[in-house]
Amino acid sequence: MPAVTKRLFDKEQNFAMLLVAPAVVILLATTTLPLAFLIWNSFHSINLAMPFMNGFIGFENYRTMLHDGEFWHSLGLTAIYTASTVIMQLVIGLGLALLVMQIPAGQWLFRIVAILPIVLAPVVVGLFWRTLMLAPNFGIVDFMTRALGFDAVNWLGSTTPALVSVILIHTWQWTPFAFLVLLASLASLPPDVYEAARIDRASAWRRFIHITLPLLRPAIVIVVIMRSMIALSAFAAIFAATGGGPGTATEILNLYAYRTSFVKLDFGYGSALAVALLLITLVVSSVLFVIRTARTR
Amino acid sequence: MAINPHITARRRRNVILYLISIAVLSVWAFPVIWAIVVSLKSETEVLAYPPNLFFRPTLDNYSDALFGSFSIVQSFITSFVISALTTVLTIIFAVPAAYAFARLKLRGKKVIGFYTLVTQMIPPVGLVIPYFLILNRIGWLDTYQGMVTVFLTFSLPFAIWLLVSYMEDIPQEMEEAAYLDKASRFQTLWHIILPQVRGGIAVTVIFVFLNAWNEFLFAVQLGGNTVRPVTVAMYNFVSVEQTLWAKLSAAALIAMLPMIIIGIVAQKQIVKGLTVGAVKGGGRR
Repeated sequence: MPAVTKRLFDKEQNFAMLLVAPAVVILLATTTLPLAFLIWNSFHSINLAMPFMNGFIGFENYRTMLHDGEFWHSLGLTAIYTASTVIMQLVIGLGLALLVMQIPAGQWLFRIVAILPIVLAPVVVGLFWRTLMLAPNFGIVDFMTRALGFDAVNWLGSTTPALVSVILIHTWQWTPFAFLVLLASLASLPPDVYEAARIDRASAWRRFIHITLPLLRPAIVIVVIMRSMIALSAFAAIFAATGGGPGTATEILNLYAYRTSFVKLDFGYGSALAVALLLITLVVSSVLFVIRTARTR
Repeated sequence: MAINPHITARRRRNVILYLISIAVLSVWAFPVIWAIVVSLKSETEVLAYPPNLFFRPTLDNYSDALFGSFSIVQSFITSFVISALTTVLTIIFAVPAAYAFARLKLRGKKVIGFYTLVTQMIPPVGLVIPYFLILNRIGWLDTYQGMVTVFLTFSLPFAIWLLVSYMEDIPQEMEEAAYLDKASRFQTLWHIILPQVRGGIAVTVIFVFLNAWNEFLFAVQLGGNTVRPVTVAMYNFVSVEQTLWAKLSAAALIAMLPMIIIGIVAQKQIVKGLTVGAVKGGGRR
């Protein structure tokens, strides 16, 4: 290497810039540029079904959104879907992690089985549940509800059961994530704290509230942040299980933005809906991050 | 000798613990196990209601899914090519960037780091809409280069941050010793740092490959007849062949087999990758 270039690279700042630059350029080109295009499009009418109307329309798409019942409906579903799946994943995952910590042998089996749902493609999970598990007159869940003497439920074909189903499918697939993360954090807690508490004859519940929970707080907050982001942009499992239906019963904002663009071919309004989802994601994540830094301090 | 009441109480408690655990385990394992059972049935046996557990297993569905009219072999290869290309490119760009973020002085590091983090939060639907219009215009819909470019949007930020947490663990003395030996910065990165983070790179490779293999939204909208990964092939299969569920199960299991194997073999690495941020409290992120 020529001496000049060598000296140039050996300066820490320059070398660091050189290493970071390619990744940053790619991220600018592949994420920020399309994002800018999305926002630009959200101020336009871009309807492939009615191309003669295309053009700049300012805030018209956003004004439409305020009076769009389907938008508010999908927003409500997004809130229900995100809150319920995250809370269930956390409660079940934490409960199970505490339980498994008590088990003297066989923890490895839990780790292996818990990996299964995580590594499956969400679209395949949606298809499995739609066919093998929940299909009327075929699915095993349908069979079990009837065997137990309940009326047959058309799980994915009627409004409330469909919403419950997609929430349970998501919870089924991702609770193992919360479980594994919390199990690992539990295992890494210092055992001497527990010993001290046990000598003090603190009850199991008090030990949990006053020792375990505060120590787990960073892990819990991380789980909530990561799972909320994923739930807000959940797509494939719902798309495969119900397609957002019946009607729009399971059409969270993400799927509504998708259908508006790719089925109704209204790319301008679809872009505006996607921008709304982006803003919601940013607000939720900022709130969660603020909670996190406030608590760790 | 009298039975110690403490021991019986503990034993009863253990039995209850195990029972609850087994119940939860079966809920997680069941859909996959049931898919295996169904995939071994003939199409007529599949439709028997109530489902019967005693049947003569057949491998017909598997041979159909591999060599029949709905062969998923082509999709399988497509998925592999896309995932492998995405993984290689991601590692090439993420490793140097992660090293700089974790260990070098860099003005504006906080801003650039925050930027990388935020790019990870863009909902995929917010990217698939503009990408559809862009790729349509430049003729990159249904091409490998288009698909891999789009896949970088989620793999690169994720890989950078995962690798940063591994790079931060390397003791500072190793680099200092290398500089004393008059090694250049590049040599230090190549010969000292890289061997130290081999494990972290392996975890990153696993995650990026897995996420690329399982991706659906981009694949279904930006792919087509040429580039059709297994996830899209599965979805299309159900839309076209509403009730051939034994074949669907066989095809889906073949499509997911690499992931299931990775999951079981690399179980420790995956758990480590999932927890690395959470357990450490996420470092300075």
